[in-house]
Amino acid sequence: MHTNALALLILQLIVIIGLSRLIGRGARWLGQPLVIAEVVAGIVLGPSLLGWLAPDVMNGLFPASSMPVLTMLSQVGLVLFMFLIGLELDPQLLKGRGHASVAISHSSIVVPFALGAGAGALWLYKSLSSPEVPFSSFVLFMGVAMSITAFPVLARILTERGLLQSKVGTVAIACAAVDDVTAWCLLAFVVSIVRASSLAQAALTTVMALGYIAFMLMVVRPFLARLGARVASREGLTQNVVAGTLVLLLASAGVTELIGIHALFGAFLFGAVIPKEGRLAETLAERLEDVAVVLLLPVFFAFSGLRTQIGLLNTAEDWLTCGVIIVLACLGKFGGSAVAARMTGLRWREASAIGILMNTRGLMELIVLNIGLDLGVISPQLFTMMVLMALVTTFITTPLLKWIYPLEEIARERVVVPLPVEPGPPPYSVLMCVSHGQAGPGMATLARSLTGRDEGAQLHALHLVSPERAPLRPAQQRDPEEDGALMPLLWRAVSLGLSVRPLSFVSAEPAQDICRTAKARRADLVLLGWHKPLFSQTMLGGTVHEVMQQASGPVAVLVDRGLSDIKRVLVPFAGSRHDRAALALARRLRKQAGAEVTVLHVTSDLGGNGGARAQVEALFPATEGGVTLKVVRSDAPDEAALEEARHGYDLVIIGIGAQWGLEDKAFGLQRERIIRDAPSSLLVVSDASPATAAEPTSEASNDGATAARVLPARS
Amino acid sequence: MHLGATLRLLRTDAGLSLRDLARRIGVSSAYLSRVENGVDAPPTPERLSAIARELRVPSSLLMDVANRMSPSVAAYLEEVPGAGALFLDIAQRRLSGLQLARVRDFLDAEFPVAQGRRDAPVPPLAPLLAPERMVLQLSCAGWDDVLDVVAERLASSQPGADVARVVGGLKRHREESSCAVGGGVAVPHSFLPGAVPTAALVTLATPLAGDTPDGKPLRVVVAVLDAERGNPQLVRLAHLARLASRGLADRLLGLSQPAQVLSSLEELEALR
Repeated sequence: MHTNALALLILQLIVIIGLSRLIGRGARWLGQPLVIAEVVAGIVLGPSLLGWLAPDVMNGLFPASSMPVLTMLSQVGLVLFMFLIGLELDPQLLKGRGHASVAISHSSIVVPFALGAGAGALWLYKSLSSPEVPFSSFVLFMGVAMSITAFPVLARILTERGLLQSKVGTVAIACAAVDDVTAWCLLAFVVSIVRASSLAQAALTTVMALGYIAFMLMVVRPFLARLGARVASREGLTQNVVAGTLVLLLASAGVTELIGIHALFGAFLFGAVIPKEGRLAETLAERLEDVAVVLLLPVFFAFSGLRTQIGLLNTAEDWLTCGVIIVLACLGKFGGSAVAARMTGLRWREASAIGILMNTRGLMELIVLNIGLDLGVISPQLFTMMVLMALVTTFITTPLLKWIYPLEEIARERVVVPLPVEPGPPPYSVLMCVSHGQAGPGMATLARSLTGRDEGAQLHALHLVSPERAPLRPAQQRDPEEDGALMPLLWRAVSLGLSVRPLSFVSAEPAQDICRTAKARRADLVLLGWHKPLFSQTMLGGTVHEVMQQASGPVAVLVDRGLSDIKRVLVPFAGSRHDRAALALARRLRKQAGAEVTVLHVTSDLGGNGGARAQVEALFPATEGGVTLKVVRSDAPDEAALEEARHGYDLVIIGIGAQWGLEDKAFGLQRERIIRDAPSSLLVVSDASPATAAEPTSEASNDGATAARVLPARS
Repeated sequence: MHLGATLRLLRTDAGLSLRDLARRIGVSSAYLSRVENGVDAPPTPERLSAIARELRVPSSLLMDVANRMSPSVAAYLEEVPGAGALFLDIAQRRLSGLQLARVRDFLDAEFPVAQGRRDAPVPPLAPLLAPERMVLQLSCAGWDDVLDVVAERLASSQPGADVARVVGGLKRHREESSCAVGGGVAVPHSFLPGAVPTAALVTLATPLAGDTPDGKPLRVVVAVLDAERGNPQLVRLAHLARLASRGLADRLLGLSQPAQVLSSLEELEALR
């Protein structure tokens, strides 16, 4: 009657898709994923129900002669589907999730694998396998079949329950992704062993498979990244690109089939190496999903349903075996992942939720089982049991999850995905504040010497515009020279090979904005430009004073007198914390730029220099060298410092303090001679941060006295 | 104005996948994706209403973003054609937002609406802002700098808040395209448990020529810090997109005093 094979195939497709959608409605009503419905539809159409009730109808609808066509169609569907699975696999999921996911996913594979392999070895091989099947193949396959987790079903359940953003969700999805990759690699390995006639051949297959994976990662992936970049630019995904991708996909599947691992592995691998950045993966998935998932995948389910013969389980003993397999599967997967999750510090409730989620086997299990049946590793009877196992484990996931992890728990646990913590100490960071262009080049030079070989150092340049002077026209219509306060700095930075991040905005409270920005950028040093004060005698008044008052870290004012290369540095030192901050900067210059540092200790009596020497030595270990300590006896430290400064230094680094004639005051009458009269460039340092614990405590009293003397206004 | 980008932002924030939302409003995910990418025409008012219902934001907001006339307005004009003349009157007087708000106050007083008939009023943006959380005419090298600046402003308004955490939350917007709503406006947002909702506003002196949905360079960034995800945050997002479509960027450009920004904003959102 059915002479026309095409008409028959179309009829089969209509029945399969129609029935699975029909049962799908019921499944949705039960709160189950659609996969369940599709698997059940397959079983219903197969010998288990339809063939049992009306064998004639089944044989008419699915005659043995039509099986090859269905087989091929379902395989093509699976190739596409595995490609989609690979596409959904974001390598970011595998990276940077910390120990928890790695531990959980490993134990969620190892434990069920061991249980499955153990059961296979000790018990199932004898009772349910035939002697032709090699023992090792059977045991390995059972192990793999037990340790599958269905990534797509899991993702769908998590989405539907709104759990994707939660801690449980992120851990579970990461574990499932790891499981997916591991299980498929394991399966490919097992398949290669089963297919190989000898050990040598198995080894060859494995080597070739590894070579192919390397080829995909090294050669194909960069190529695809470029393709992705092209698609991301506005031209979009043309049909040519889709065709090209499909050809590559089929080629990849074909190659892996020829190598001797399964074609599905090639499809999965190709999907996995497609870059997930840009829109290539997303767009491809959208294009292919409907055809693969709605049209072709149900064919595969029907096909496996047709091979599932529940009638084969005809004794109580068989059903008992089936039950034990289900229990073992759940125990391995749930136990393995839940215990591991608990050990990584999750609460029992969360750990159990993860265990339940990982227990979902869904259609991935079916794919594995069909491969096993095709290879002849498992018998139809065991196949049926395992299909039931897959069905049950998938079916119980949603209700169990609802029970153990109700909605109120979800609401409590919902968190923003934590960002991976950056390892290591934060890079040295300098904030350079420029108000007038001419201060810029000197700052860039200084920054260069301060950061020298430190590749990770971060340099920021900040220019604040007062609201009155803010240009009224938008930037596009402005001449570039007009807002060029940062340009001299940036030009010098470019010639020095520095990378500086410029920043500029309108600000009515410059001091506050400088401190805020410094805090936001975690600046280790705030560098201010200096210009002749307008109203006040003091050089450190106005904004500079306010910044020094409000900043939480060291602030330095650069008085630039043609700073171009920093070779000789002078640090007048009396022991205050500002002086220590100055010394720390000098040490940085010594370390990064190889500058020669002279520390000038001015004291009223020569006997009392022991403390200062100890401090200097603590900051400059004797082994480093390049540091000279000069001790001068004088009653006027500022005069002595000035005198020394005339001896050809490139830069004088000096802490603020009354002894140097530098006070941190809004309006001062001090003459600040050292700033005025020193021939070299000057860096005036103030450190607001409390003395660090590493510094010698014996100096604390001295330091406290100095600070109190220097800054009477602050208390 | 780019409706698609706004829809995508709202959808992802509501935690819905493309497939989910498409299924719920009964369209194909391919169509919805085309709408989000601006390849397809904006949805019909009926479809927009369905989307608004699923996202639980007032549909009038989405209509405004899409520059669509609400179907109820069209129906009313058909029913009472004379009302058109009144609209014409308003148009001829070129009433500003503040003046329209006065007209509406009059309507509210004279002809009160039955409870529940109207959408709950959308909370305005201006009260979330403060002068110290505005950075005007910023020029910087890139998007990261903008995020750093807004994060610092947001965090400093929250006692004890960790800047790094706020930056981390904002850095989900790895590119400006991921939170741009068109019209030169981007709306990054972050969450911090226990935070008081606050907003920070940045105007850019040099527009950032990023990959924005409508190709207009980025000139205004409005960042919002919320305690948790939820409906108020979605509504605020949609409101921001509406402000963008009303020309927020053009109005704020060239202003250099936070007070001017606030008053300009108040006028712009007088009618919500």
